[in-house]
Amino acid sequence: MNGRQLDVLIVEDEVLLATELEFLVEEVGCHPVGLAMSSDEAKALACDLRPDLALVDVHLRDGPTGVEVARTIHDDCGGVALFMTANVKRLPDDFAGACGVIGKPYSEHGVKTALEYLTVCLTQDRAPGPPPTGLELSPAYAQRWGLNDLPEAV
Amino acid sequence: MSERSGVQRMTDILRSERAAEELAAEHGVGDPFAAAIRATRMAMIVTDARQADHPIIFANDAFLKLTGYHRDEVIGRNCRFLQGPDTDPAAVERLSRAVAAGEDIAIDILNYRKDGSTFWNALYLSPVRGKSGEIVYFFGSQLNVSDKKRVEFELDDTRDRLEAAVAARTADLTQALQQKTALLHEVDHRVKNNLQLISSLLLLQNRRVTDPGVKNSLRGMLERVSAIATVHRRLFQSEDVERFDVSAFVRDLVSDMMGAARRDDIKVSLDLERIDIAASKAAPLALVISELFSNALRHAFPPEIMGAALDGRAGEILVRITRQDAEFRIEITDNGVGTGNSASSGGFGLTIVQLLCQQLKARSETTPADPGTRVVVHLPVNGVHH
Repeated sequence: MNGRQLDVLIVEDEVLLATELEFLVEEVGCHPVGLAMSSDEAKALACDLRPDLALVDVHLRDGPTGVEVARTIHDDCGGVALFMTANVKRLPDDFAGACGVIGKPYSEHGVKTALEYLTVCLTQDRAPGPPPTGLELSPAYAQRWGLNDLPEAV
Repeated sequence: MSERSGVQRMTDILRSERAAEELAAEHGVGDPFAAAIRATRMAMIVTDARQADHPIIFANDAFLKLTGYHRDEVIGRNCRFLQGPDTDPAAVERLSRAVAAGEDIAIDILNYRKDGSTFWNALYLSPVRGKSGEIVYFFGSQLNVSDKKRVEFELDDTRDRLEAAVAARTADLTQALQQKTALLHEVDHRVKNNLQLISSLLLLQNRRVTDPGVKNSLRGMLERVSAIATVHRRLFQSEDVERFDVSAFVRDLVSDMMGAARRDDIKVSLDLERIDIAASKAAPLALVISELFSNALRHAFPPEIMGAALDGRAGEILVRITRQDAEFRIEITDNGVGTGNSASSGGFGLTIVQLLCQQLKARSETTPADPGTRVVVHLPVNGVHH
């Protein structure tokens, strides 16, 4: 960890998943700032609380609106979204401005290493290395964080 | 018809008759070729290429019989009177161009009889040249191919209807496939979300309980659920949802379990040949591998006696997958304290391994690796042992 705590917003309509995620976020030294279960709540909280990172499920209480939430966070709230979805293949090619995706079902360890990795990426604006297993970065953020300069992972 | 053009027509007919007489004079009664053309059942005409608009100057009886006209109704006229409203203008255009270019042409064209009925005419038209090479006549022969054309049209019609039927059926099947794919995605989505939910329940309860025995059981269950979850994530990542890549699964599983165990004092080496198994066997085999790897990780290297028990050597676990003839061989070997010292061999985890091996028709052997323990699972490639 680099001394700085990331503010993390959780956007997830399954309350048990959200609760467990909140624990994981705390355990890696981040600061959970809120929980949203619908797209309206998510957009309102994202623009009020200005989190550094939002963990966004695609299917929310009001339907498959997570993609639109990620776009709003990127365009209007100045934050970075990370998708957490079982439907990785259905995401738009540009990831709606999100930095990447963790496929469900994820493991406790997978989420923790991804959050630790993203903490470094977000605080230094550069990746410490290729992303850990389970985390896929969007093409735009892979570029931004200098991953295209790295040799191909074998 | 105006009087002037009436006069003109008379003049044309007279000129045509004169041309016909010239032709007849050249091919008199004794000319066997002329006799053959007059008597043949093939309809034939000759037009005068030296007159404006190429009037007919000869028509045989077969032509008159085919078209229903009298001879004096055709002599002196251009043969376009055979055309009617449904005659294809493109065919007429091709005819005109061939005549203008002095070339021969064979073409199927819809013609009209005097009574207004139609017939398909397989027309052959060719120029006849004089001694100095200039075109003097056009020779035309007409064959009624209406029957052949009708069969053609019927075939076209049948083909069109078949094509339409095939297109409709294809559209139905495409739609059915789309529905099936959408349903598969929906079910896949629900399976993954439910596995995530089960994991979260176990993790949440694990946070609440303090009893080490219960915590251990919950962690074991969580590992099993995670193994199944990894299978599902892998299954739908690949293009072929019916095959399962065991080596890719092992890489995911090992990286996750090692990360979660936080045992930097243990090194893992992987020697994985790519093998594919049926998707239906993926979950049971994944559970077997997860159980055996977890067993090595948890029991071969007790942290409190590391160093002393291992005589200073580094802890190591090897996972090797190979194919040998009709068997897949999955080996998990550790250089730890051996089964004799292992804390809970023979527990619930090993019961699971035994039961699932039975289900998979696989055979598992545990032998001392000196130091440590080697477990090998032999899985028949085609589901049966020979």
